This record gives sequence, C-alpha cells and structure tokens, in this order.
Amino acid sequence: MALVIPVKEKKLMDVKLGELPSWILMRDFTPNGILGTFQRGYHRYYSEYINVKKGSISGISMVLAAYVLFSYCLSYKELKHERLRKYH
Amino acid sequence: MLSRVALAATAAPSLKNAALLGPGVLQATRIFHTGQPSLAPLPPLPEYGGKVRLGLIPEEFFQFLYPKTGITGPYVLGTGLILYALSKEIYVITPETFSTISIVGLLVYVIKKYGASIGEFADKLNEQKIAQLEEVKQASIKQFQDAIDLEKAQQALVQKRHYLFDVQRNNIAMALEVTYRERLHRVYKEVKNRLDYHISVQDMMRRKEQEHMVNWVEKQVVRSISAQQEKETIAKCIADLKLLAKKAQVQPVL
Repeated sequence: MALVIPVKEKKLMDVKLGELPSWILMRDFTPNGILGTFQRGYHRYYSEYINVKKGSISGISMVLAAYVLFSYCLSYKELKHERLRKYH
Repeated sequence: MLSRVALAATAAPSLKNAALLGPGVLQATRIFHTGQPSLAPLPPLPEYGGKVRLGLIPEEFFQFLYPKTGITGPYVLGTGLILYALSKEIYVITPETFSTISIVGLLVYVIKKYGASIGEFADKLNEQKIAQLEEVKQASIKQFQDAIDLEKAQQALVQKRHYLFDVQRNNIAMALEVTYRERLHRVYKEVKNRLDYHISVQDMMRRKEQEHMVNWVEKQVVRSISAQQEKETIAKCIADLKLLAKKAQVQPVL
C-alpha cells in the first residue's frame, strides 16, 4: 500500500482544503457516475437510519427538515419583500 | 430462499468477468460456484439507527466539533446561527412563523408522549411477520428432515434385502421340487399305463386262445362221437341207472 495516496481515491474527509477543487474536478461526472453518486448517498442514508430494527422518528424528520430548508431557500426571493426592516 | 437470490447475484458478475477473457483463452478458467457464497446468510439488521440529537442533527456532527469546542460547541453554534438569521432577516418572521411554531410544538409533544408505544406496536407487528416466516421455514426444514429420515430408513432396508431374497429362493426351490415330483409321478403313471396295456393285451390273447382251443376240442370230441358210439353209451347209461335205482330201492328200506 502506497504511503502517498493520490488525491482521486481519498475520501472527502481526508482531502485537505487546498486540494478540494482538484478533488471535485476529478470525480466521475458521467451519467453513470452521477447515478452512482445518488444511489450511494441514498443507500448510505437508508441503511443507517431507516433500514434498522428499531428506527426512530429522526429517520423521516431529518428528510423533512432538509426539505423545509430547501423550500425556504427556493422561496426566499418572494419572502424578501415581507421583511420587517429595510436595513439590517 | 434469499441465499439463492444472493447466489444468483454473485454468480452472474463472476461469470460475466470470466467471459471478458478473449475467446482464445481456455474456457476452463471460467469461475463456477467454487467458493463460499459471500452474501449468505445475510448479516442481521442493526438494532438501532444512527444516533440523532434533537431529532434533526446526527451525533457525528457533535463528535466532529467536540475536540475543538467541547460539549457546548454545537449548541452555541446553533444558537448563534439562529440569532444571525433572525437579526439579518435571513429568516423572515411572518404570520406563518407562529403557525409553524405551534405545529412543531404539537408534533414534538405528541411524539414525546406516544412515540415509545407506537414503536412497540410496530415492533410487535414485525415480530408477528417474522414469526410467520420462521414457522414456514421450520415447517419446510421439518419436511426435509422427515424426507431425509425416510430416505435413510429405506436405505437401511437395503441391508435387509437378503431376507427377502432368501424367502424367494426358498419358494422357487419348493416350486421346482413340486413340479419335478409331479412330472415324475406322471411319468410313472404313463409308463404303468403302457405296461398295463401290454399286460391286458397278453391276457386277452391268452383267454381268446384258451376259449378257442376249448371250443375246438369240444367240437372235435362231439364230432368224434359217431352215431353208433352214442347209442352204445346211452344204452350203458340206462343199464347203470337201472342198477343204481335197484340199489337205491334196497337202501332206504334198511
């Protein structure tokens, strides 16, 4: 096993901050690769929080909270007009 | 059942990989089911999911910040973020905010109160399903075990076959003996029949000859008695008779 692992095979947590752009560019951007990314992410979340014997509410609530945040971000443009003060 | 699916899943890629070797490579290098199937038996499901604090933030985040900021770090970070969002009006307070707060409060209350019991109910349903499947599995295992035992018993019977063959051999020997004796008896009867025939033919011949001879002798004698001899014999007989009569007369008087 090489002592110096090339940047491509490192996991995200092991990548140093300066190497981040090159790491991102080296990822697999083919349709197959992107599909694989989504599949891996889904299966990681699924097998850790949902596909267990005694699952808790956090399995769904995290997904719902993420959806809430995401939809808030999408509708921020309209919400900007309902601000109470103009200058912050 | 699942192991078969797993076997199919592992066999397919291994066969595919082997087929990628060019057609010139010996097909003897194809990989068949030689090793242990790695997916069977499936590992059991984990008991509990990943730990999550406040129902929203995974424990890993707290552990990630613990070395640098201690225990209160993530909470302070959260509070700071919320205050920043409120003060800079990144989060705008609208009438919806109050309905949100009440709904979220209600949800949290309901979940805290009834979460455990609902979990137990779901667990019971799961257990029932698993128990049913387990029953089916046990039933089929028992069936196979019974079939195996039956097979073993029948195989054991093979060792006792020689009794059957001995009995059959004895029966056949007896039947052979019986037919042999029957035929012997028939032969004897037939031979006796033929010999009796010859004997009766001989007897008949002798009888016929005797009768014929006797008849012939009688005829000769009758022929030989000429007429004159007949008269003489008759006269003699009459004289004898007269003598006898006289004797007989004399006798009863005495």
